[in-house]
Amino acid sequence: MSAKSDLELMEHADGELDDADVAARIERDPEARAKVDAVKQIGELVRGHLELSADAVHDARFAAMWRRVDDQLVAPATGLWSRISGWIDRYRGHVITGAVSAGAVAALALVLRPSAPDIGVRTRGGGPIQVREVALRATPEIDSLDTPGGSSTVINLDDEDGHTTVIWVTPEDTVEGI
Amino acid sequence: MNKAAQQASISTHGRDPVDDRELVLAAQRGDRDAFKTLFERYHRRAYALAFGVLRHEDDALDVVQDAFIKAHKYLDKFEGNSSFYTWLYRIVMNLAIDHLRKHRRVKPVELDETRIEAEGDEGLLPRILGGNPARALVDKQIRARIDQALDELSHNHRAVLVMRELEGLSYEDMAQAMSCSKGTIMSRLFHARRNMQKRLLDLIDHPSAELVEDLTGAGDRSRAEDDDVPANDESPRKRAPAARSR
Repeated sequence: MSAKSDLELMEHADGELDDADVAARIERDPEARAKVDAVKQIGELVRGHLELSADAVHDARFAAMWRRVDDQLVAPATGLWSRISGWIDRYRGHVITGAVSAGAVAALALVLRPSAPDIGVRTRGGGPIQVREVALRATPEIDSLDTPGGSSTVINLDDEDGHTTVIWVTPEDTVEGI
Repeated sequence: MNKAAQQASISTHGRDPVDDRELVLAAQRGDRDAFKTLFERYHRRAYALAFGVLRHEDDALDVVQDAFIKAHKYLDKFEGNSSFYTWLYRIVMNLAIDHLRKHRRVKPVELDETRIEAEGDEGLLPRILGGNPARALVDKQIRARIDQALDELSHNHRAVLVMRELEGLSYEDMAQAMSCSKGTIMSRLFHARRNMQKRLLDLIDHPSAELVEDLTGAGDRSRAEDDDVPANDESPRKRAPAARSR
């Protein structure tokens, strides 16, 4: 008798298979019946053995366990702040998604605002330069370039007037930790 | 009735047992005594489950303790769609499986669990202990052998066997608990049972005289005559576990 057909006997013994053919086989075949009985007996032995093992643990050990459990029980939230914290904790995923969405909308609004005043900034050399916002024709291209001093980053910006601005960040420009 | 089964029917007020659901609701409102009652009802049963999987008393106690702390922490998320114990055993089982993963010890290599049909005649053994098998559990030799046989099973085989035999979980529920297919569960259970049979085979085919006495109750009768005590005396040594209704 194959293991596969024995698997059906096991399913039947576990109440997982309601099949007339299997039931008839158990009825007429003493060996099949003995296998079903053996499955049930192993179950009884394992269950009984584990229950007796649990009974053998002294009550004092469980009493000590309860004291440790009791020490760590956290009182349920009752105050306003606790309830708000609880709500945030429960819906953390939604809160984060909402916050990220709001941030993205704010950033978009900042980029697409109609005009902005020129901003004066200074280079590391100290000389003032004028910066003005421009609309880009395409997404900036960012490349990595291996140079003798290390790896540089090249950023290509095409504005809507057809001008291309190239920003080359060399290893010397890189501030450690940024 | 064993302690685990007795504790499941404890009355908290000396009259009708308080329903688990009422206790959970009270515990959710901050009633520690209610939660303690739930602890008292289920700690041994939870321990039997953890011990069955972990096979180590201290580890099993740690897992049960963590399970109750976790159960209390997330009690407000328990909506009562299942019984409290069903919810608790899932926590116990998850913690026990996590514990096995973190403290993995060398275990026998499992057979390919998806290919039962390829194993030829390695089927179930049509052998059972004669007499009353529940009485076999008073025999130290057979309990030691069951212990050893459980120890020798792989973690996955043992976890499935324990879930099935102790808690009567369906194949589908076990598949969910162990995050695998129902076919894998069936295969693990089949191998676990067959391996248990193989390891107990010599006791079944050639039981010792003492085991035969225990199985047939002859030992009880002769001891009762010797000691002049009733044959149905349930001293701790002779107490066989009651079958748990599922």
